[in-house]
Order: sequence, then structure tokens, then C-alpha cells
Amino acid sequence: MSTLTLRDRYLAMVRMRRFEEACLAGVADREIHGEVHLGIGQEAIAAGLLGYLTDEDALVSTHRNHLHALAKGVPMYPLMAEIFEKRTGLCGGFGGHMHIFDLPRRFSTTGIVGSTLPVALGHAYAARLSGRASVAVGVTGDGGANAGGFHESLNIAGSLRLPLVVLIENNEWAISVPFEESTATATLAERAVSYRAWGKRVDGLDVLAVASAFGEAVDYARSGLGPAVLEATCYRFRGHYEGDPDMYRPAGDRDARRRDRDPLLITRESVVVEGGADPVSLAQEEQAIADEVDTVLAAVRRDLMPDGMQARDHVFTRGTAR
Amino acid sequence: MSIASEAAVRNVNVSQCVAEAINLEMDRDASVVMLGEDIGRSGGVFGTTRGLQRQFGPDRVRDTPISEMAFTGMAVGLAMEGYRPIVEIMFVDFIGVCLEQVYNAAAKIPYMTGGAVKMPIVFKTAGGCIGSAAQHSQCLWGLFAHLPGMRIVVPSSPYDYKGMMAAAIDSDDPVVFIEHKGLLLRKAGSFAHGREVPRERYLAALDRAAVLRPGSDVTLVTLSLTVGESLAAAAVLADEGISVEVIDLRSVVPLDFDTICASVAKTGRLLVVDEDYLGFGLSGEIVTGAVERVGTSAVRHVLRHGVPDVPVPAALSLEQQIVPRQASIERAVRKLASRS
Repeated sequence: MSTLTLRDRYLAMVRMRRFEEACLAGVADREIHGEVHLGIGQEAIAAGLLGYLTDEDALVSTHRNHLHALAKGVPMYPLMAEIFEKRTGLCGGFGGHMHIFDLPRRFSTTGIVGSTLPVALGHAYAARLSGRASVAVGVTGDGGANAGGFHESLNIAGSLRLPLVVLIENNEWAISVPFEESTATATLAERAVSYRAWGKRVDGLDVLAVASAFGEAVDYARSGLGPAVLEATCYRFRGHYEGDPDMYRPAGDRDARRRDRDPLLITRESVVVEGGADPVSLAQEEQAIADEVDTVLAAVRRDLMPDGMQARDHVFTRGTAR
Repeated sequence: MSIASEAAVRNVNVSQCVAEAINLEMDRDASVVMLGEDIGRSGGVFGTTRGLQRQFGPDRVRDTPISEMAFTGMAVGLAMEGYRPIVEIMFVDFIGVCLEQVYNAAAKIPYMTGGAVKMPIVFKTAGGCIGSAAQHSQCLWGLFAHLPGMRIVVPSSPYDYKGMMAAAIDSDDPVVFIEHKGLLLRKAGSFAHGREVPRERYLAALDRAAVLRPGSDVTLVTLSLTVGESLAAAAVLADEGISVEVIDLRSVVPLDFDTICASVAKTGRLLVVDEDYLGFGLSGEIVTGAVERVGTSAVRHVLRHGVPDVPVPAALSLEQQIVPRQASIERAVRKLASRS
């Protein structure tokens, strides 16, 4: 079990929210010139992962990956620089926001929905081959859970008892298609039985509930019993991507949920009311986090884009394609 | 062929050459692992992995379920962990169910990371016509070659099957290694070229074409099984007074335009023989690339002989009408050579 407190997790959520807001500023100013998918409203899930994984463990994330990167310990500066397509980014500006790779921390992403779990399965198989007691976390959404790789990967993990943890962020919407309309079962966690896997559904707005369940899932997989499926329910606060007109969801419901069910506000209230935190010192810590993110944003904004003459580099390790 | 070199030809088939190469690489490098269907217990449906599981165990030679999307993605994860996976896609035609991890992940991750992450993966797969009709007869090297980030190699001789497989495993880049089903079970002694296969480990270059027969009238560029067919055709045509220079491409990506253009500059006539589909593919790429490099005044005549853009039919009478083989290659050369 992790030793992190509720306050620790709350402050991590604040850092995640401020990070996403910095990215929003980059979209508004057209510094990020591609599409961007933000995880605002889903911070309690990422913050629930904290404390259970080391650099030996892998995490493979999706197109909506910033919060998972931060949870895996990817440093904020090169992460934001990559999202802003700068030469100081993790991938030198060749990857962009959907293609974040931090090899020493075993963190990677893919922009193709449904393609995370096969890659995570490879990390889990590496644990088997090398005899390490590490786990591999593959993240998917409720939409990606309907792609074939979900079944193929979990079936292999179940049959070989590989340490694969499947984290499903069920935010109810696969772009414009609602969960109930696209999924045969009432939950995704109940699919676990098909793969001889551990399975649980948890409230993804409740950071402590996520942390507790994720700890169980990781322990189960790490102990060699096989894969685990953790479904965390949440709500996508913004459009699928920044700029999505988002006319397909009932606006009244969306506005009410963003107002009344914001995990950041829910968790802050718990920290103050149940945790007895001093509001003044908490506000100071929140401000310090905001300052940290602002400092990184300002520095990233000053950085250069990669040299255009490098556009043909890196296709092969040696020689050229033509 | 001298008596001394005849003695050096071993009684092995091409599949055994491939298995030998993989065996030697797995033996010297513990990071080499294999994933695929029927590669372990059965040794591969064409025998290219025979004996490997018995020698290296079921973890390093993993018989997978019929889950290509998962096990191609596994190779990507394994590569990020420092392994050198070999993935077998039993028939190249099956790539449709798992191209995603091949072209969006393995092929692009080195570029998308600015060179920070290598993907030393070999995708080995069998193509080519042997009478198996539309869904088990394709070559598809042009399909892979269109997508950036993969080396595409297509050996034609026993020597290259072994040496290029070793080099593919040794490469830090993703390599698609396309075998021809019509060659895999042939004995080394039945080949006209590259029939001597050393027992020990060796690497054959992945990115160079080879001039197998010098000639002065026509440059014939081809690959895989049609290399042998073209050599046989060239021998017949020599008796008719037509001198054909036969180039074995060996590599589709990258294409060795130095070798192609040196020949075309000499002959002025370029024929591409390709068992893959004609449209939007390798033959058009070679002709265009050669013309761009040596100019229209040097390339006086070009011709493409490939599979017209139809699926491969079942009946032999139909298949013979569309798949390039010795007789049709001879006809194509005569047609090109007659142009002044």
C-alpha cells in the first residue's frame, strides 16, 4: 500500500490540472498546431496511480496521455516541450502530443485508439523473459476497449498469466458515441472473467478509491496470478479534442457535471473538511504549483522548434530511405 | 559450376537456411526472441523455425494464439525493453489484420522519438504464388515499401536467405523479410545462383542489388522467385542473340539505384519483372526513379511485366495468364528488345 496521503494526491491533481491549462493556452495561441486531447476532469484516476509503479514498470497510454505521463514521473519540462513541438521536447519535436516516449521510465503512448494493450503486453512478456517482478499498465478508454486488441491482449495475458494491468478510463463517450450504445455489458470490468483476470469497477472521481483499487490490481499482477482489469468511471469534461464543437452531448448534463462533479473540487473539499487542512497553507501550496507550471510554460515558449533541415533524419539508424 | 564448388553445395533446402540463421543469432544473443503461430511445436508451416523451440525453449520461441494484432504489438513493447523480436506473419496476406502495429508503431517510433528509441524487429513472412488463389498468393512488398520506416528485403538464393536473415536480425531497424513459398522447400543444389551456404554465421548486405548475369541489350530488374525464372529466360534469349543483364534487387527499401542506373545507362532498355501487383507499386517506382536519375535520353525504352491489377485466381489456367514466369518473361524481353 502506498504511503501517499490524500493531500499528496490532491496536490498532484492540482499539478495535472494546471498542466492541462497550460496546454490549453498553447492551443489558444496556436503554438500547438495539431489536435490536442486533454484529460481535464480525469485527474483523480491518474493521481490514483501514484506510489505503485517504479521505472521498472511500464505504462502505455493513449491519445489522452498527459496525466499518465506526469503520474509515471515523466518530467514536466520536456513533456510540455514535446507537446509544444519544441526541440527541447522528449522526442525533439518529432512526436508531438500524441506520441510521448520516455524510454528510461518505460512510458510510451500511441495515437491509435485500441493499440495500447498489445504494446503493454510486450512489456509484460519482457518481465517474464527477464524474470523481473515488474508489471505493465496498458491504458484504454471505453471506446478503445471495443477494439480487437483488447481481447487479443487480455486473452494472451490470461493464458500465460502475464503481469498486465488494464486500466480503463470510462469517460462515457467515444468521441460522440455514448458508452451504453456501444457496449454489450453494463460494465467493462465484468469482462475480466473471460480472461481469468482480476476485475473491478471503481468511481474514478474518488482518488482514494482509485488508489486502493489500483494498488490491488498491481499487487495481483505482480504476484504472478495474471492480468487485472480496473475500470474507473469518469466524465470527459471537454470535447474529444480542443476545438471539438461537442454538439452531440446534452449541454445541460455536461455543464451540471462539470460544475457539481469536478474531481479537483471534490478532493479539495475532502482535504479541507475531512483532512482538516489549513486553507491558507493549502492555498499557498496550490499557488506554488501554479507558479511552477507557469515557469515551465514560459521557458517552453522561449524554446526553438526543431531545425527543418532534420525532417528526413531518423527514419533509419543508418543510411537514408532513398 | 566447377567440381570443387559443386562439392560445397549442401543438401539443405531454403527453409533450413532460414532456421540455421535464426538459430545462430539466438545462440549468440539472448535478446533475440520469436513470436508467431505454429513456429514452436511444429517448426513453422514451411519449416523455417524447425528445431528452435526445442533448443531455446517455449518462452524464447513462443507459439502464440491467432492474435496477430496482439503479438505484433508485443514485439514493439519487447523492443522498447531491449529485446530483438522476430515476428512471423505466416502468410503475408494476413498482414491486413495487424498492419497497425507494423506501420504505425514499429516503423514510426524511431522517427517519432527523434531517434531515441530503436525498433530492431524482424517481421518475417511468406508470399508468392504457388496455386493458393487470391488470399494466400500475394507478394505485397510494394504495400510495405510505400510506408516509411521499414527496410524491405526479398532474397532469391539460399545464400541470401541465410545471410540476409542474419543481417535482418542484426539490424537496429525494423526489417520486413519476405520469403517466397515457391522457394522455401527447394534444395540449394537446384538454384543457379547463391547455392553454396556456409555452415557458420555470416551477414549478407541488406541494401545492395546484385548483377547476376551481365548483358548489353536489356536491363532486367527483378526479385525473389522470378530471379531464377529470369536467369533461365536470359539463357534462352542469349541463344537468340539477345543479351540480358539480370539484376537481383534483394532489397526493396532502400532501392539500389546505383546498380540499376549503371546498367540502364549501358543498355538503354529497362524491363522490370515483378510478381507483385503492377499498379502503384515497385515496377513504377523503379522506372520513374531510373528515368529521374539517368534521364529520358538514356532510358530509351521501358516495360513492366507484373501481375495485372486483379486478385490471383485459383485455376492454373487462369493463374498462368497473370503471374510472370520464364515463358512470359522471355516474351516481355523480346518485345522490349525489338524496339529501336
